[in-house]
Amino acid sequence: MAYTIQLIVEGFATGSIYGALALAIVLVNRSTGLINFAQGSMGVLSTFVAFGLIQLGVPLLVAMLAAFVFAFLLGAGVERFVVRRFERGDPDTAVVVTIGLFVFIAGIAALLFGYEPRQFPSLFPPQSINIAGVFVSMRSVGTIIVLIAVMILLQLLFRFTKLGLAMRAVADNPQSAGLSGLPVSRLLMIGWGLAAVLGAIAGVLVAPQLFISPTMLDFALVYALAAAILGGLDSPVGAVVAGWFIGIVENLAGAYVDVIGDDLKIAVPFIFMLIILIVRPQGLFGRKVTVRI
Amino acid sequence: MSLLELEDVTASYGYAPVLHGISFQLEANRAQGILGANGAGKTTTLRAISGMVPATGRIRFDGVDILGKSPDRIARMGIAHVPEGRGTLGGLSVRDNLRVGAYQRRDRKQIEEGIEFCLDLFPNLRERIGSNASALSGGEQQMLAVARAFMAQPRVILLDEASLGLAPSTAQRVYDAIRRLREESGVALVVVEQNAALAFSIVDHALVLETGRVSIEGSRERLAGMDEVRRAYLGG
Amino acid sequence: MKAFLARPIVRIILAVVIAVVIIVAPITSSPYVNYQLSIIAVFAVALLGLNIVMGYTGQVSLGQSAFLGLGAYIAAYGVRMEWPIVLTFLLCCVIPAAVGLLVALAAARLRGLALAMVTIALPIIGVPLAKRFPDFTGGSQGTSVSFLEAPDWSGLADDQWRYYIVVAIAVVLFLLGRNLVRGRIGRAFAIVKSNEAVALSMGISPYRYKVLAFTVASLFGGAAGFLYIAVVQYTSPETLSFATSINLIAAMVIGGSASILGTILGAIYFVVLPIAAGQIDASRTALISGAVLLAVLFLLPGGLVSLPRRIVQLTSGAKRRGGSTPANQTPTGGTAPDGTAPDGTAPGNTAESAAQKQPK
Repeated sequence: MAYTIQLIVEGFATGSIYGALALAIVLVNRSTGLINFAQGSMGVLSTFVAFGLIQLGVPLLVAMLAAFVFAFLLGAGVERFVVRRFERGDPDTAVVVTIGLFVFIAGIAALLFGYEPRQFPSLFPPQSINIAGVFVSMRSVGTIIVLIAVMILLQLLFRFTKLGLAMRAVADNPQSAGLSGLPVSRLLMIGWGLAAVLGAIAGVLVAPQLFISPTMLDFALVYALAAAILGGLDSPVGAVVAGWFIGIVENLAGAYVDVIGDDLKIAVPFIFMLIILIVRPQGLFGRKVTVRI
Repeated sequence: MSLLELEDVTASYGYAPVLHGISFQLEANRAQGILGANGAGKTTTLRAISGMVPATGRIRFDGVDILGKSPDRIARMGIAHVPEGRGTLGGLSVRDNLRVGAYQRRDRKQIEEGIEFCLDLFPNLRERIGSNASALSGGEQQMLAVARAFMAQPRVILLDEASLGLAPSTAQRVYDAIRRLREESGVALVVVEQNAALAFSIVDHALVLETGRVSIEGSRERLAGMDEVRRAYLGG
Repeated sequence: MKAFLARPIVRIILAVVIAVVIIVAPITSSPYVNYQLSIIAVFAVALLGLNIVMGYTGQVSLGQSAFLGLGAYIAAYGVRMEWPIVLTFLLCCVIPAAVGLLVALAAARLRGLALAMVTIALPIIGVPLAKRFPDFTGGSQGTSVSFLEAPDWSGLADDQWRYYIVVAIAVVLFLLGRNLVRGRIGRAFAIVKSNEAVALSMGISPYRYKVLAFTVASLFGGAAGFLYIAVVQYTSPETLSFATSINLIAAMVIGGSASILGTILGAIYFVVLPIAAGQIDASRTALISGAVLLAVLFLLPGGLVSLPRRIVQLTSGAKRRGGSTPANQTPTGGTAPDGTAPDGTAPGNTAESAAQKQPK
């Protein structure tokens, strides 16, 4: 029993990473209508910035903040200069563009830092704590708390600030929002910037465990995409919940279903996803889309 | 100097030119109608003004050239466009729609007063203040769109087919409210309408467009008598 | 230029020249070159499959590598079990096609990303599965087989014989594919791609044609797998990987989607790039391939195959708006359905056009 709970908590933690990336994907999709396959690489590159700074002796927290700033600028810049011209066209083309970015940005990381996985310091102490007989690592607990905090902050931003109102308006109907004088271009850039920061957060949270390398977030990205779909592409809450779901199911199935085991456990979220999509194409939390002709 | 000046404006969607040289002037506080049948170019004219469609010629607002500027920039200069289809921000609440309208303003207290004023003007909206805008009826969405434009305290409101899809009584109510808004704030209007009678309830001067050109213009008295106007579209 | 190429006599001469080159090449080239040429043929087949479903029918498939790998494994198994080679080849076509059919039946109703995700699932699940069954797949080590040895009567070396067989099969498959996309079915694909509502109104079922496209793509993928292992003589779970799928998509776009010639160019790119990048710096492959893909998307969205056209445009100065300028020539084949102004960088215009997808 204690082992099960431990698995669930660990699942929550890995699920939080997927959820953070999924949140980024949903944010980008809502504001600009496309799926950013490069979300993971952008996060990784930002994490490498932190890594580089740490190598130079900068304290961990400062390095992370610098990485977040870098991520924001990277995201905003990518939206403005790379993705912007594909936003109004064929969405599949936009996907290929982000795939190109994915490879290119990973290539930059590899160029600067090589492919060898390297150690990355953790924000959290390495101990495990004992909660009612269950041993959970501080890292897991910390990850979950960070994600929840991020979610709350985002909610506050969107619900209670003028910027959040503007971003919601642009996501809803960019043309109409522009007619009310909202600086649509800038808001789109901010949306991408925020999403990139989410990716960076995912990166710095997972780097201590996975060891930082250019391909560090590749798997998480695929899970995050699955979570975003499962949650319904326009639902931020859905994306995170789906991320947790995937993390937990993956762990439990890997441990308890013999046929699956550790290697095939990655298949489990996809099987769930497939079943849910067939039954409910708009995802668990998504709105049904009626296509107007 | 007029508030809004169009000089020989042409515009096209892709290859097909829709406007072939439109010119008119709008003075501050005045209301101008643009009438004509479907496809005459009325909506395109408004879109050219607000920057939604590329155009050639001269468009000046308060003496400043606005042709080629982006729509949000033009909006910030003081032109509010209530587009065809209303442009309601469906996923946002009624209150949020109004707040978006006031985005450029900083005076919190006056924004709240402005919202109150709009809600007094449109009691339906007050009832539905918390609902998502997409849940509103057509008439209510139109009222919301007008109110949202008004919230920006613009110098000109461009109104595109405000009666479209509305029952006559609802349309009349919307126009009555617009007239009151105009009396209250002195905002200038450019009103695109197929229903001439409705348009003339708030404007005193109108252009009639036919296939992208101004075919006639004049006051209500002058136009009302003309066969061309009556012929150009029924229901006038 | 186009008119020149369209004349029958020119085409015949061109075809003959190309045929001669293809036939004579291996005799005069080294085994290494023959190997590369054969690999190009292999990936041309795989890319053609991908192009059929993605370029011509507009359905994003991130799983083509899974069919390639599956075909390779089936071939390896068949050879080890000493099945007749023709039977093995047919199985390499049929089994992946069946898998593709099943997947498509389930997934073709999903839109956009959902469909892409289902296709991602194929390599994601495929790789661990491949590591799982050592009897069938040789586990993570992979499996090695050698077949298609040159018979004595031909007087050819193994690499030359393999080249001829592989290229012959590839040419046949290409002709079949070409007929498919140029015929009635291909036109149906194009309509489904551009506007499903229009397709429906014409009595064309988007669902059916998507399923068909996907099945054909899987068939080609499987066949390519057979050819792959014939040439490379080794396969491993790596062949099935997600990274391979991404590289295939990149190659397709760079060569030119929805184009037969573009497919071949894409295959050449796919094979040549790692070699070229390796000359510069092996760790820079990702950077270079990403950069090339982005450059193509920005400057030459129609892919390399559209380069001549583009050069002509640039030199004669495309005066007409709405001609095939990058903004409205989509990399996923053909021109964008709307004819709106190409100028893309004014922020306002983005807002306007981004909203064109919004329901009013």
